[in-house]
Amino acid sequence: MYARKNILTAALLFLISISTVKVVSAQGIPINGFVQGLWGGRLQEKNPTSSDYTASEVRLQLRMEHNADIAEVFARADFFNDEIVAGGNDWELREAFAKFTLLGKIDFKVGRQILTWGTGDLIFINDVFAKDYESFFAGREDQYLKAPQTALRSEYYSPLGELALVWTPRFAPNRTPATGRFSYYSPMSGDFAAEPFAVPLPAESIRNSELAGRFQKTVGGMALALYGYKGFFKNPVGFDFVSMMPFYPRLNIYGASARGQAGGGVFWLEGGYFHSYDDQCGEKPGIPNSNIQGLVGFEKQIASDITANIQYQAEKMLQYERYERNLVGNDKEDEFRSLVTSRISGRFRMETIILSSFIFWSPSDEDLYYRFSADYKLTDNMTVTVGGNIFDGNKRFTDFGMFQLNDNLYARATYGF
Amino acid sequence: MKTKISRTLGTVAIATLLALSANAQDAVEIAKKAHLNYYYAANDGLAEVSMKIVDSKGNERNRRFSMLRMDEADGGDQKYYTYFYEPSDVQRMTFMVHKSAAGNDKRWIYVPAVDLIKPIAADDKNSSFVGSDFTYEDVSGRLWTEDNHTLTGETRLNDRDVFILESKPIKPYKGFSRRVSYIDKELYLPLKEEYYDAKDKLERVLTAEKIETIDNIPTVTERKMQNMQKNRYTVVSFNSIKYNLGVKADLFTERYLKTPPREYIK
Repeated sequence: MYARKNILTAALLFLISISTVKVVSAQGIPINGFVQGLWGGRLQEKNPTSSDYTASEVRLQLRMEHNADIAEVFARADFFNDEIVAGGNDWELREAFAKFTLLGKIDFKVGRQILTWGTGDLIFINDVFAKDYESFFAGREDQYLKAPQTALRSEYYSPLGELALVWTPRFAPNRTPATGRFSYYSPMSGDFAAEPFAVPLPAESIRNSELAGRFQKTVGGMALALYGYKGFFKNPVGFDFVSMMPFYPRLNIYGASARGQAGGGVFWLEGGYFHSYDDQCGEKPGIPNSNIQGLVGFEKQIASDITANIQYQAEKMLQYERYERNLVGNDKEDEFRSLVTSRISGRFRMETIILSSFIFWSPSDEDLYYRFSADYKLTDNMTVTVGGNIFDGNKRFTDFGMFQLNDNLYARATYGF
Repeated sequence: MKTKISRTLGTVAIATLLALSANAQDAVEIAKKAHLNYYYAANDGLAEVSMKIVDSKGNERNRRFSMLRMDEADGGDQKYYTYFYEPSDVQRMTFMVHKSAAGNDKRWIYVPAVDLIKPIAADDKNSSFVGSDFTYEDVSGRLWTEDNHTLTGETRLNDRDVFILESKPIKPYKGFSRRVSYIDKELYLPLKEEYYDAKDKLERVLTAEKIETIDNIPTVTERKMQNMQKNRYTVVSFNSIKYNLGVKADLFTERYLKTPPREYIK
């Protein structure tokens, strides 16, 4: 039923896209993009979610760019029919920005955009830009892990190094998987729940805007960087015992990273001090303590066209005794958290087959998340993908354990133009 | 009598040695000259590249990109910048190589859809370049100092006089066990190269399909790489070639990986 309706939508979107291309090309601005269908199903029956599907959607992405002398303008929008959560047609502006340079030294990028920095492979310390974990778990393309935000980015280049500042006037939180599509462990009920929950954003004001900075310099082939962030926890990890509502507590981050090539591969190191601004003494039970985090990674080509990497991330909660003393409930976190990840990916048959396997395993939390995919490029335009997401955990409240009922398999077909 | 024979033999031996070393010397000179003409033309260069990949069933795939190159020194380090137009899934992607004559090359890719700059862990120069029959090394060249060269003869090819040069890797090498090059005597450009595998079976054949003179520089503007064992091939054509643009080194940095230099890349 879902599938049939979506195929019709796909056909319609495709026709629209072809006619749009012709219309706009006449004015000299080419339009590109893709039409994509995604279908996913659950592997576990006892899930409290309403649908057995994790995805049934058709998506049309249109892209256009224009390069004038003074600025480069780019826009990218998605039009989609999502049967699981939205239950209908919707659209999203993924990017719409202007890029220009002042005095040959300062690059500006203004508007809706996707931002990335830091060194980790799918784990983030100083990358404070919005992520979309619902898309990530549902089998959308990797590009959808990054959510857009409306921001002003400026980058100043000098012989001393490169200074980048990103100002996001309206706080852009992560998109959590708790939209009704996936179940999660709810500490409130002490059980798995699937109700979508929306958490109010901090009031719109200058004080509540986000500011992120990075200073980067390359020394002897090694990219060294310092980071700073003033904003909020990107997930609603705070809990207000008066209103009985989750919220976004304030957060400052100070970090550093290094990345370079060595040993026939690439290695990276990154660290950060997460300063929980609303609970500086670590005594408020509804607000996470400050913590320090570090990660180290190495990637190498292990055979022709096969690349493997390994990462280790460690996190230490500061003022743990106070945390223990003020803890409400039984879901006690550990003082130390560790995470090991490994990705192996290969490109075969002249890059027409791409296989990828990515495992996240936390020895301290005793949980894991495994994602895998196989892409088959039938032609330059047509790609078919199958993949899956597997979660497991011994405890219900850990990062991956809380999603343990959401194992899914998906198939995706993309026609690019 | 005895001394005369030994003297004659000695002279012959010395002459042979001289001839051999002269031959080796010539061979190295030819290999070097051809390499510099082929991979280090002018100080920098820009081209729009179209690539057609045809598999054994006749299925065709196409890539289109702009490629900008800058040489630090002839036969030395080079920098490459590539901007993709097609196919759709790699559109706007950029790719950068800092080729090191002495050590390992460094490669970066920029994925605009996620604003991600990623250094590529790749010490394998024999990986396929964007799914084609060309390897990374075929694109940026293998230094003549990495092989022993022998001049094995001369012949005519495509109505041109050519040297026949045989090159064998000094260190054991995955890419080929032996390469036979047919180098144009006048232009010092390879018109044909045959790559033999570890079992000395012909694996790939590179041919210069079209040579044009651009800014007084003879340039191979269409190249074909055939994989004889897999019965497939890739044709690359270079269009709108420009030389000596005065490209600056700071263009080959992360800044321009994110923001393509529009004076060169349309």
